[in-house]
Amino acid sequence: MATGQAGMNVARNALDLASGRPPAPAFDSRKDIPLKRSRSVALVMMGASAIALSACDEPQIDAALFDGVQQCIDNKDFSADVCESNFVAAREQHAQVAPKYRSQADCEADFGGQQCETAPYRTESGSSVFMPLMMGYMMGSMLGGRGGVASQPLYRSADDPKSFRTADNKNVGGRTGLTKVARSATARPSAKGFTVSRGGFGARARGFSAGG
Amino acid sequence: MQRIPVAERADWRETAREHGFDFHSIDNDRYWDESAYYRFTLRQVEEDLEDPTEELENLCFDVVERAVADQEVLSRLGIPTAYWDYVAQSWHNKDRNLYGRLDFSYGGTAPAKLLEYNADTPTTLYESSIFQWVWLEQAMERGLVPAGADQFNSLHERLLEALPQLGIDGALHVACAKDSQEDRGTVEYIADCARQAGLTSQLLYMDDIGVDQDGRFTDLEDRVITSLFKLYPWEWILQEEFSQHVPASGVQIIEPAWKMILSNKGLMALLWEMFEGHPNLLPCYFEGDPRASALGDDYVRKPLLSREGSNIRVVQGGQVSFENDGPYGAEGHVLQALHPLARFDGNHAMVGSWLVASQPAGMCVREDHSLVTTDDARFIPHIILD
Repeated sequence: MATGQAGMNVARNALDLASGRPPAPAFDSRKDIPLKRSRSVALVMMGASAIALSACDEPQIDAALFDGVQQCIDNKDFSADVCESNFVAAREQHAQVAPKYRSQADCEADFGGQQCETAPYRTESGSSVFMPLMMGYMMGSMLGGRGGVASQPLYRSADDPKSFRTADNKNVGGRTGLTKVARSATARPSAKGFTVSRGGFGARARGFSAGG
Repeated sequence: MQRIPVAERADWRETAREHGFDFHSIDNDRYWDESAYYRFTLRQVEEDLEDPTEELENLCFDVVERAVADQEVLSRLGIPTAYWDYVAQSWHNKDRNLYGRLDFSYGGTAPAKLLEYNADTPTTLYESSIFQWVWLEQAMERGLVPAGADQFNSLHERLLEALPQLGIDGALHVACAKDSQEDRGTVEYIADCARQAGLTSQLLYMDDIGVDQDGRFTDLEDRVITSLFKLYPWEWILQEEFSQHVPASGVQIIEPAWKMILSNKGLMALLWEMFEGHPNLLPCYFEGDPRASALGDDYVRKPLLSREGSNIRVVQGGQVSFENDGPYGAEGHVLQALHPLARFDGNHAMVGSWLVASQPAGMCVREDHSLVTTDDARFIPHIILD
């Protein structure tokens, strides 16, 4: 699996594009009337002004990682109930959010030998669909009370088996128990479908512009 | 409203490159043109363009309200029967819209006349919002335009406010057709704004969209698409193979389906029928409507679904004075009273008025050498200065 994208810190990149100065005041001081134009504009992805910051610049937040319920209970930072309920919540997402493969070999190429299982789906021709085994889960630290990080399943890729990865391929490190992870890694993982067909849009474009 | 020649910034091409504006020239012809600018008074902007824009948007809502309850209207607009419920649902669900552009014929004196509404797939967004803004700041700094000038252009701020209000849960996928640099630039800007607004955005081509085992749309990494901004006309989507999956896929599409009622030139006939005599509207009728004889010998014939000035015919004194070919028109036409664009130094100027989340948000002026604004038009920046 490829390394996840570096995080973006919008506020630190949001320079005044005209001059690099801090944004101009919202009001025209001579007339004391609001301007009809934006006070400042910024780009974070387009052009040379877009500077991707490394992941370490992204805010880190408290979370807990475990390879299973028993490890969570043995850790003693959480009650057995909390360990269990967070595991169940992650487990329920697993089949929805795990990446899907047409063959066991393709899945094992990414996740390692014996590290894949059949998904509760069938291909259009009725054969099995494969997905990686759930290897752990991430949950909130409870340091700020309930809420915060929602639990989600974790995986280990063949090329970096010491680290956990989310279903959206965000590396959250290999340290179990209480830890810190990049905020972007705690986003709810996207559902992964088993794509049965592609290319059903775009035929009408045929090289002329769709906009106007 | 004046057209004022001005020196170009010597380094504007470099500035364009730095700001990701790589479609400033199209087929070696200039599209971004800062050899002149338009100067408006604040009153012209606010009373002649901004206020009418807000008012017309509300009249447009009345048209949508009528259309979704009247199958004859949906039929006249050429919306496929199979999607009537889907379109009506998108309106009744109050599916949020992001942006659009009203195109006016306006020359600074008489009321602005609405020519059409780019409600579904407007381009010209990035250059209006960003590059025009940067031009004004630098032009004032370098003494090319008077200090203290302003610009009707809060697009960037309004987009950043509107995007988090769309109810997007998860990532926003942002898609366009392949092979258009201009479309690509527009969706890159939308994706950039989404990122700045705290959303996760993912660019892809319409051609790359897949369908999964449950009829949900997927991206190239098989992630299920839950919210999709598509710079791709609704009428094309509904003609293509995957259209059958749209209603049940659960995907939130921006612009929402009800906007296809407004991007249709039939809107202009419906507006006139419902609000005849409104100062910002031109007489307009569906072709074949006997009332169209009121237009006399001067009118413009437009396909219901044309883009970039294609298949437009201008009739003056009963004679065809201009005709553009193109692939559109099978779905029918409207006839609209001729209201020629104002001419400045031999250039025909069209004023675009932006809406973000249905609120007026800025302006752009495009010029063409011909009566009809086509994809050869040039973008000319504007200022407000009393």
